[in-house]
This record gives sequence, structure tokens and C-alpha cells, in this order.
Amino acid sequence: MAVNPEKSDPQQLPRVPWFRKLAFDVTSSEWDILALSTAFKSLLFPAYRSTDFEVHRNWLAITHSLPISKWYYDTTSEWTLDYPPFFAYFEKVLSIPASLIDPRIVDLNNLNYSAWTVVAYQRTTVILTELLLAAVLLKFARGVPDPNTQRLISASLFLHPGFLIVDHIHFQYNGFLFGILLLSILQARQGNLLASGFFFAVLLNFKHIYMYLAPAYFVYLLRAFCMSPQGSVLPNKFFALANVVILVFIASLGPFLLMGQIPQLLSRLFPFTRGLNHAYWAPNAWAILTATDRVLLQYAKRFGASFSVDASGVSSSSRGLVGDTSFAVLPSIRPIHTFLITISLQMIFLIKLWRIPTYKSFLTALTLCGYTSFMFGWHVHEKAVLLVLVPLSLLAAENYAYFRTFVLASTAGVTSLFPLLFTPAEQVIQVAYSLLWAFVVFGPLQQRLYEFPRSLPAVIVGLLETTYLWGFLFLEIVVTLCPILAKVVTQNPERWEFLPLMLTSLYCAVGLIWAYARLSFLYITTK
Amino acid sequence: MDETESHILHQTPHRVPRIRTVSVPSQPTPRANGFLKPNRRPLSPVGPLLVPTDTYDSYPEILMPVPLRHRALQPSPDTWIRTPSPSSSRAISPSSPVTGVFPRGYHNYSSFGAIMEAEKETPLQEQGLGRRWLRWMHKNGLKHWVVPCTLLASAVVRWCIGLGSYSGQGTPPMFGDYEAQRHWMELTNHLPTRQWYTYDLQYWGLDYPPLTAYHSWLCGKIGSWIDPTWFALDTSRGIETPTSKLFMRSTVILSDYAIYLPAAWLFTRVWHAGRSRRTQNAALLTLLFQPALLLIDFGHFQYNSVMLGFTLLAATSFIKGRDLLGAFLFTLSLGFKQMSLYYAPAIGSYLIGKCLYLGPRDGARLFVRLAVVTAGTFILLFLPFLPPFSPISGVLDPITRIFPFNRGIFEDKVANFWCATNVVVKWKAWASQSALMRLSTLFTFIGFLGAAIAPIRAWLRLKNQDRTGVVPSVMQTVLLLALLNSSMSFFLFSFQVHEKTILLPLLPLTLLLSVAPHDSTTFKLGVLANNVGVFSMWPLLQRDGLSTQYIALTLLWNRLIGYDPFVALSHATYLDILTWMVYLGCALLHLMEIVFRPPARYPDLFPVLNVLLSMPIFFFTWLWSIKSIIEARWTAGGLSVGGPKDKKANSAFPTESPGGVSTALAPVEGVRNRREGRLRVQSLGYTAGKRQTYSRATSVVD
Repeated sequence: MAVNPEKSDPQQLPRVPWFRKLAFDVTSSEWDILALSTAFKSLLFPAYRSTDFEVHRNWLAITHSLPISKWYYDTTSEWTLDYPPFFAYFEKVLSIPASLIDPRIVDLNNLNYSAWTVVAYQRTTVILTELLLAAVLLKFARGVPDPNTQRLISASLFLHPGFLIVDHIHFQYNGFLFGILLLSILQARQGNLLASGFFFAVLLNFKHIYMYLAPAYFVYLLRAFCMSPQGSVLPNKFFALANVVILVFIASLGPFLLMGQIPQLLSRLFPFTRGLNHAYWAPNAWAILTATDRVLLQYAKRFGASFSVDASGVSSSSRGLVGDTSFAVLPSIRPIHTFLITISLQMIFLIKLWRIPTYKSFLTALTLCGYTSFMFGWHVHEKAVLLVLVPLSLLAAENYAYFRTFVLASTAGVTSLFPLLFTPAEQVIQVAYSLLWAFVVFGPLQQRLYEFPRSLPAVIVGLLETTYLWGFLFLEIVVTLCPILAKVVTQNPERWEFLPLMLTSLYCAVGLIWAYARLSFLYITTK
Repeated sequence: MDETESHILHQTPHRVPRIRTVSVPSQPTPRANGFLKPNRRPLSPVGPLLVPTDTYDSYPEILMPVPLRHRALQPSPDTWIRTPSPSSSRAISPSSPVTGVFPRGYHNYSSFGAIMEAEKETPLQEQGLGRRWLRWMHKNGLKHWVVPCTLLASAVVRWCIGLGSYSGQGTPPMFGDYEAQRHWMELTNHLPTRQWYTYDLQYWGLDYPPLTAYHSWLCGKIGSWIDPTWFALDTSRGIETPTSKLFMRSTVILSDYAIYLPAAWLFTRVWHAGRSRRTQNAALLTLLFQPALLLIDFGHFQYNSVMLGFTLLAATSFIKGRDLLGAFLFTLSLGFKQMSLYYAPAIGSYLIGKCLYLGPRDGARLFVRLAVVTAGTFILLFLPFLPPFSPISGVLDPITRIFPFNRGIFEDKVANFWCATNVVVKWKAWASQSALMRLSTLFTFIGFLGAAIAPIRAWLRLKNQDRTGVVPSVMQTVLLLALLNSSMSFFLFSFQVHEKTILLPLLPLTLLLSVAPHDSTTFKLGVLANNVGVFSMWPLLQRDGLSTQYIALTLLWNRLIGYDPFVALSHATYLDILTWMVYLGCALLHLMEIVFRPPARYPDLFPVLNVLLSMPIFFFTWLWSIKSIIEARWTAGGLSVGGPKDKKANSAFPTESPGGVSTALAPVEGVRNRREGRLRVQSLGYTAGKRQTYSRATSVVD
């Protein structure tokens, strides 16, 4: 008597209730991460929120209560709409449920509205739209040779302290936007370059800061999609790509083109009236340069100037907090200089990418493009470091050298975001959370990827890097003690407020520049 | 059947594990496949394999040795580890369709990676976020960092809850519990001890025992050192600056980390000493993230975890055999909040039982020592209120403040017996206050009879066995159940109970469930009572503006411990069905609250419904604690004493003779009893699991 096992053994009958059969292609541990992060993020609802919260609320109001022709003209609030049209449409969609929940959210004149409804609603939209990021990261962990490592990297991105600080406390929609970016990268990994180009064009119309990455996309799509491996141009593919991109831009800008509002729109998107550095110096090359200038100026003041001092530079920013920086000693930097430096450095990587148009090469070149812009761009925000950290995370498991770069850049980058939150309660959270994240992400990856250093320089560099990483501990201690010391030692503590910020910025800049050099070297020397 | 089994037997050696790299679901391939050779002789020495022709008639005969399907493709992937016999006698070639691997429609389009992951999921015991995280940490060589990470994570979560609002935020003139605690810090710092319990009683007069006062004094001292305006006398009333809030929140977390966390950590290491490190850490996670305690202490704002921590430390000391230390710690707990009197019957009876167990000489000595330690600790705590530091009447101020017998039988809506039955019987109209007080005392007394008797009986029964230094492991269960029983009966029946008091019964219940198997009643009921406990505090939490935290923490904790009440109907027990109905009720009530406004005639409609839904669960838990404590008592001494049934069994099988020698007829239980006396490595969950077989064995003997 032979038995059909599926029928005979009652133990093997499905013991799951009907709703369990609706399971997606998601494992329990992945649900765990989602549950954990959602629960944790919803605990942050009452946390500090920056003016960006009001900015986005105002955009909800603008898109809901004004006709599309007035979106880019409205100046009721000082927080005017300065994102591209797709983001405006996105806000329009979000404003519909908002108006049902509480009509006062979308009231244009109801400035600085901070009732529980608007807080809960806007915070919830961040969590919900971030599900796109979750879904894309999930797809990243599928169909790869080492799913465990990839899953770890995906989880590390989903739980990234950068997103926690910038999105869930400070308030922005980066999780959602990086979801689109990663979707585009995922399409590139799977070989759907047309889709990749499409999603990147969409992303550009959500937030134009992603133009930092555009050169890499341009070169890669041109070389890998529009040309055959032998180098001949494939016109069909080229026109397909061009059409897709043009269609996306028409969908976005079309209405404004018809209304003739493009110049107004552009003036909103690209306000070229800002200084070299942001109020808080982003940890890039200019931070180091500005600091050098300050040191030289102090030197000149104390010991007599042996070089010419620019008067406007002296008055401009002795405190290091002022937005518009002009140098007192060093030659001043104009936007064109930063632009030229950025482009010429990017060219090196783009030529490499042109030669090796593979996915891995593309990913590295993409990271480096963003990295170069972050390092040498005009008026870079510290939040832009996410543009570096996110694609770099995808490279972390490549080998130990990449992993080490990732560790340095992530540690420095996340630490450089800390000054974004200045309320003590949130500072505790960001430090503790980042520590936990670093521990759980770096530890296992280090175990998987560790390689013994093979030469003396490698040993020395490794030691220096480790010392640098431990230095963050002291940095945090010093930064914490600074306000207390200033209160005890000096008469006017406000004068010293800049010091912890400057220290953080400089220390992180050192790490980020070193990681940049490392990554460039790795990329250029790869065969 | 025989054939099947013989096939299985003979086939087994030929089952060479082979990895099949077929994606799932694979398409049925045409029959004309190279692997199917109808006329080949079987390699098996026994004979051709038979194929069920009724369902698989498309395959005439497959005459091949059966390759083992990949584990991930086995039917019921979670059972492969438990069943040594092959699950199928049907010959399977690599090309045969792989249907029915997973339940239909389940994982229909799963990727191979997802299936591999699903395969790794071991049954019930291993489920839950906490368990999976622990396994991941162990696999990645972070084993020794589990506890530091847990501590850090729990600190972050506690801190994040603290971002929210607290009891009485922005509600002058009286504010709430937060202001009460802050006010005590203020008055203990500025007034002489004599006035602590007498100063302006109308505005949050101090009504907790002296240890709370000392704790407030310490916190106030540190706070005044940082910023004196936070605790300036009278002028600081209702101060709500962000920094003062930050300081107050951090005092709760620091107190919690000073007392409750070490207590929870010690509990897992001492009580579950025989269990694996992972189980211990999973228990730690269960304790640290218990939502009711988190919400009340770090959201609403109180210091319950200090009181609970002292009690837990005391219980751990008792289990370690350090009775004097335990008595000291429990007195501290009493000295922090009088509420821990709810535990007193259980602990008192445990200690009396221990004295009796030790015999006249040792027992009397222990008794005297305990009395001295307890009295000494109390005197120490009340020292500033006693002569020569204050007149003899001075001690009466704290006493009258701590025990306010002049309030009603219940104040707010609380899910206890009196409030729930008040819907039918209007107690306050029906009887005078003093009569009600007497009645409630009587009910409470009857309620904790089990807790008062069981430990003594259990100790007495253990008396027959040869004594060792260690406390028999069965006393662990008895002690916890006694704590549960006595605190729950106080909660249900005593006078003047607050809804937050549910934390007291929830502590022993959570301790019990922390290592219980997921399909045991202890676990199911424990989690149900915990969830309903949080639910019963919903009106309070909603008032405090903690609704988001309420949802997030409850769901997180349930996910963390891997609680899953929704089993298939065919496998559901009565408890499961009750659980569903309760959760349905909770969900409906929440929904109604959103949709409808309560009618003007019954403004308290929703709180009352909440009470009516929660109270039966607590009542049921109380009944269960009585039943379990009786069962646990049986395990203490075998079948020697008990009801008439057991007496008969006793006469038939004298399992325990004074010298510990069993008769020839002694059943297995006798052996087990003696082992229990010595091997204290068996911990709670183990005993609880065994208990079922044990009671079954009893009926067999009968």
C-alpha cells in the first residue's frame, strides 16, 4: 500500500489560517525589521522637528488650496515651494487625506500649525512612503549569491541612522526619495537600463539635488545602453532612452512650460545667492579650507599680518556660524571654481566608467560622483552626505578595502549629522541609536570580510584609521562637555557655541576626505 | 501500512542527500524525460516502488532509487528535523512536479532564498523577533554582546517613550503624577524631615513610605545642583521646561537601570540557571520590554520599577537561599511603595514555611533572624520619624498618609471586582464605607488563601526529603504563583485600587511566561493578561496622550516574544477561542471609541465597557493561579497528601518514606520527586511542562 504523503499525514496539513496564505515574499526576520523600525519610529512622533516640518506642511497647504499656476509664486509663508514639480504633485496627493483628517492642516494661512493631527499625519506619511525603500531593499536581497550579507546591508540601509535623524526626527522624505534612487540602481543591476534611466529621471523631478549623481548615469547609460560593447552607437536604444527621459520631464514640467513659468520655477529651484558653506559647515574640503583661513586670521591678528587680510572676511564670520563665508587670508572661492574642480575630478571617474561599463563599476562611479560633489560643491548641506553613504553601503560587502572605506565614511558621515539635532533629548537618542546600528552592522560584516594586512604601510594605515575611529568617542565627549565648560569658564558662553560644531565638522571632514581618497584609489586601480 | 514502512526502512540507506536546484514552483515536465525509464530494474534490493496510481496515474512506474528532495522542498519544511523517517514513500525523480511542498497558495511565488529562510525556521519555540535576533547575534559571533546591546536598545526605547507627554502635562492647577513626584523632590529638599508628611497636603502631599522620600531627596539634590529653579520651594510648582522634563525622565531611567535591570538580569541567570544562554536572554528581553511597565513608568511617569525590582531581587534571594537578604530587600520594596504589601502574604507564608521546613531548632533561629532583619530595616527606614529625632507622635504622620482608609472603595474606573460588579450592584449605595471595607478585606483574604497556604504546605511536604543547602526548584514555581495569586486577589478585591496596580500581578505573570513554551497555558494566558492589562489602562494612557506609544509598544512586545494567538481553528483550544473573543472585543471597543461619541446619559460608557472586558480576564487569571498553585503543590511532595483521591493513592503507593527510600511499587514519580529535591537546575518552564504529564500520571495511578 503506497500512500500519498500529502493526504495521509494529518501533521503535514497546512496549519496556517487563511490570512497567512496572503504571505508576500518576505521572511519573518524581514517582517521583524519592519515591525521593529516602525514601532521605534512611531515612538519618535513627539520628538523635536525642524522648520522642514513646517516647510512640508506649507507645501501641503499650497498644493491643496492654490491652483497649479500659483504653486511656484506663492509667498504667504517664507517657506516657498522650491522642489521640482513631481514633489509638488506628491504633496498634492498627500494633501487629500490631510484635508479629510484635519482641514486646518491644508489651510494656507495657518502658519506654524503644530496640533497633534498634523504631527501624527506628517510623521505617518514619512513612515508609509518609506515602505518604498523597504520594498526596493528587499528586492536587493533577492537573487544574489550571498543573500545573508545582502540582507544585512539592506537592513542596515533601512535602519540607517541618517534616515532616522534626517527623516524621522528632523523631518524630510529622504527615505522615499532614496527608495526611487535604489529602485533605479536595482534596475541597472538587473540589466533594465531603460527602466533605470526612467526612474532616475523621475527622481530628478522629485528633488534636484540628485543631479550630483547625474554624470555617472549619463555616461553609463550612454555607454552601456546606447552603444554596443564594440563601441558602435545603437540609435534605436538611444532614441528610446531619450524619449523616456523627455516624456518624464514633460510630465513634470509640461504644465509649467505651457503656463510659461519655467524661469520662475528655475529661480526657485536654483537660488544662486548663497555662500560657499552652509551655516553649519558640511564636512567637506571647504570646511578644512575655511578652518585654515580662520586659524591664519587668528595668527595674523596675534602676531601681525605678514600677508594681506581681507576686511570683509574678518567681519564675515568669526563665529563660524554665518551663512555667507568669505575668506580673510586665503583667496576667495567663487562658484565657478567649485564647479570646475568638481567636474574635472568627476571626469576621471567617468572615463574609467566609460572604459568599464559594468554594474559594479557604475555603482562605484555613481558613489564617487556624489562624493565629489559633496566634497567640492557650492553650498553643500550636511544632509547631502546621505547621497554618499547610501550607494556606498551597497559596495560595503565587495571586499575588505571597500568595507573599511564604508566604515570610515559612515562613521564620519553619521556623526556629522549629529549637530542637526540640538535638543538634548534627541541628541541622546541619535548617539545611542547610531552606536547600536554601527555595532550590529559593522561587527558581522567585519567578520565576513576581514583580510589580514599584507604590507607595512597597510598595517600603519589600518592602525591610524582605527585610532581615528576611536577618536569619535573623544569627539563626542568633548562636544558634550563644551557647553558645560563654556558656562563654567567663560563669561559669555554664546561666543563659544561654534566650537563643538566646528570640531565635529572638521573631524568628520578628515575622515570623509580620507574615505574619498581611498574609494577613488580603489576605483581607479581596479582592473 | 507494512509495505510503506518496509519501503521506508529499506529505502533509507539509499537516500543520498542531493541538492536540487529547481526553483519553486517548478513546472511539471513532460513525461518524455530522460530520467523516467519505465523498464529499468529498481536498484533497491527489496523490489519496485509502488506509485499511487489513483492520483499519479500519469507516471506508470518510476524505477529509480529515490533521491532525497532538498530539505527546502520537503513537505512541511518545519518538521524535517523532527521526523527521521522519510515523509514520502513515493518515488520522486528530479523531474517530478513539486506540488504540495508548501500549503497551497502559501509561498506560491517565493524566491529560493525565502524558502531557505522559511526552512530554517524551527517550530514554535524559536519564533519571535527576540529569539531570531538572539540567534542572529550568536551566528555572527556577537554572542557576548547580546546583553550590552539589549541594555542599550532598551535604554533607547525607554528614552523615546519619554519624549512623549506625561501624566498631567499642561493641566493646571493640579497637574498629575509627574508633578506629584517632582513636588516631593521639591519639598524633601527644602523642608525638615518632620514636615515631609504634613506640608500642604492638599497639593500632592507625600503619601508614599520613607524610601520614596529619600529617593526624591536624592533626585532633588542632584537636580537642584544642576538647576535650582527646577525644585525651588512653592515657586517651582507646575514647572514644565524641557530641561526639567529631561531631568525627571532621566531619573526614572537611572532608577530603573539601578534596580529593575539588575533584578531582571539576575532573575534570568539564577532562576533559569539550567537553561541555555539564549533562553535566558530571551527571558530578559521579555522582561525588559513589558509594555505595561514601560508605559506607566516612562510614559505616565512613576517609579514602579524600583518597587518591583526590589521585590524581584528579594524573590531571587529567597531562591538562592539567602532569606535574610531577601527579607531586607522586600522590606525596602515595602518601604518604597506600600503597594508591595500585595505580595506580602505570599512572601510571608513562604518564609514561615521555610522556618517550619527547617525544623524546630533551625526554623526558630531563622524566624528570629528574619524578624530582627525586617524590624531593623523598618526602624532604619523610619528612623527620622522616631525618637530621639522626633516626638513619638511623629511616626503617625507617615502612617496615616501611607494608609488612607478614608477614601472610597474604588475611585476611578478600575478593572477589579468592585468596579465591575458596580454596574449591577451599587455598592456605595448598598453598604456603608466601613462595611464595604470589611467586606473587601474578607474577600481579599479568601482570595489569597491559596498564596498563604500553598508555600507552607509545599515546604512541609518537602520536609520528608533529605535537606540540602539549595532551595528545591519546585519552590520557584510555588513562589511565583503565590506572588501572582496574592497580588491578583488584592487587585481584584481590595479597597482603593488604582488601574496602574495591575503592574503588580503582571510582574510574577511575566516572570512565569518568560521561559514557558509557547503552546503552554502559562504562556498564552500570561500574554493575554499582559495585553489586557495594557488595554485596561487605555483610558489613563489616552488621557496622558500616550496612544501612539500604547499601540507601538504592545505590538512590538508581542512580536518580540513571538506571540501568535491565531492558530487554525482545528487546533484551537478553548483558551485560544477566548483569546480571540477578547481581542475582538478590544478592537471593537477601540473602533467604537473612534467612531461614536458616548451618549450624554453615560459619559463613562467606554471606560466601563473596558472594565467589563478586562476584569473577567483578571478574574480568570486569578482562578488559574489557584489551580496552578494546587498543581504545583502536588509536584512538591508527590502524591502523599491532598484530596480524597490522593489519599487513596497515597495508601496504595507510599512513594515517600521518611528515609527517602521508595517501596518496590513506587512509580516513576517517586524517583522524580527525589531528583527534584537535588537537581535545582530544572527551572520554571521545565517544571511547568512536566506538570502536565505529572497530573496525567496521577489519574493513571488512581
